[in-house]
Amino acid sequence: MGTINTSDLHNGLKVIFDGSPWICINVDFVKPGKGAAFYKIRVSNLLTGNSQEKTLRSGEKIETADVVDADMQFLYSDANGYVFMDKNTFDQITVPAKAVGDSKDFLLENMDVAVTLWNGEPIAIRLPNSVVMEITYTEPAVKGDTQSRVMKPAKLQTGAEIAVPIFVAQGDRITVNTQTREYAGRVSK
Amino acid sequence: MPDRGTLLDWRPSAALPTLRRRAELVEGTRAFFKTRGVLEIDTPVVQGGANLDPGITPFRLHSADRPRFLPTSPEHPLKRLVAAGYGAVWTLAPVFRRDELGRTHAPEFRMLEWYRPGWDDTALRGEVLDLLAGLCGGGTTHDVLTYRQAMRTHAGVDPFNADADRLVAVLGAEADAAHGDRQASLDLIFATHVQPHLGHAAWTVVVDWPASLAAQARLRPGDDGEQVAARFEVFRSGVELANGYWELDDADELAARLECERARRDPGLGLAHDACLAAAMQHGLGPCAGVAVGFDRVVMLALGLDSVAATQAFGWDRA
Repeated sequence: MGTINTSDLHNGLKVIFDGSPWICINVDFVKPGKGAAFYKIRVSNLLTGNSQEKTLRSGEKIETADVVDADMQFLYSDANGYVFMDKNTFDQITVPAKAVGDSKDFLLENMDVAVTLWNGEPIAIRLPNSVVMEITYTEPAVKGDTQSRVMKPAKLQTGAEIAVPIFVAQGDRITVNTQTREYAGRVSK
Repeated sequence: MPDRGTLLDWRPSAALPTLRRRAELVEGTRAFFKTRGVLEIDTPVVQGGANLDPGITPFRLHSADRPRFLPTSPEHPLKRLVAAGYGAVWTLAPVFRRDELGRTHAPEFRMLEWYRPGWDDTALRGEVLDLLAGLCGGGTTHDVLTYRQAMRTHAGVDPFNADADRLVAVLGAEADAAHGDRQASLDLIFATHVQPHLGHAAWTVVVDWPASLAAQARLRPGDDGEQVAARFEVFRSGVELANGYWELDDADELAARLECERARRDPGLGLAHDACLAAAMQHGLGPCAGVAVGFDRVVMLALGLDSVAATQAFGWDRA
């Protein structure tokens, strides 16, 4: 997209190394007194999620990545992928299944989702931290067992399965933490 | 970056208890030098000539009359005072270095610097440790290593004999960053392989630096026969705190070194050499030793803080 100097490095900056986009998660300035200066940075690959360290000489030019997070709304999925609509421009974009990954388990129609675009192409999505979903199937609760920490499997409206406490009933609406994929409480109807 | 004036960044960088303790450390420093008869000086914050140290870039001011610079250290005015016969002098001064920002670096910081006419580097080392121990605690127990020993012990590299392939092998994935420059490779090895190990059980003093890293220090023969710089650095917990020299007294030698450095730099920087320092050196500095101490780093260590910014009323990001 553009080039910057090492002195512009900071956390959150998106850069290109070896043809891929990376985000800086830590920047350390390293310099012995009256010696050459370097930057040791920890970067995370926006395509694979892997992180690694890189050392750069002070003054080196770095290419910034054209990576933006667009505010979008999930519409539906089809054979080609998952279709989102940009909330500002109303343009629609199809995000391939690879870029959606396990997040598909918590995607609900009309949900607000941030879609990461690299040079205009969708490479990842970021769900809201929690979502309210309905349990479409689970074994009935055991009477009186409201304090139990025992978990049982439950199927959500997307077809995904998570563990819920034993007192949760089919038809209940629950809050799910999308990052940990865990039950986070019941919602009254 | 938040806009200036938002709720987040108008507040000070340091906590109130930190600033109170910092003030006590400044008072302790003042008392230390008063007891020893070293005179406190207020050095100028604007200089007519630039400090020319390798690897350090001064700020140049826009001004109407002639080029003026912010000092990267208070060395020039202090040396002129010594040359004028004013005796032992010290200052705690603001200094400025472009593009140096990190956990232990800030483009503006406070340098504690002093000169002892008639002393050599070994004598001054003792005084530095007395001051640091007084401010940080822990006593003056220290180990002394030559630069060569430090590199061999902690990096497995002999800085005088290792060939380019050896340096690349030691640096591994980081070797690209040095771009084949031998001195830059050695600097990177020292910073990442050696320095983090220094000064943990006690203070570590590194002496006998290579002649190429002598800056304004005298040269003398080292243990192995090569010329080494009469230069010492004090480390604690992997951080460099002090850089001291038995000062070069030869005006012609100094002029040659500074011209070499000035010629090496990007002419676009417009760094004018300090004619007043040159004249003072021609007049004669006399034998003396001098040392520069990063005061914010000393505060950081004494108070167990994480960064120099945490010791400053307002760090670089919000000044």
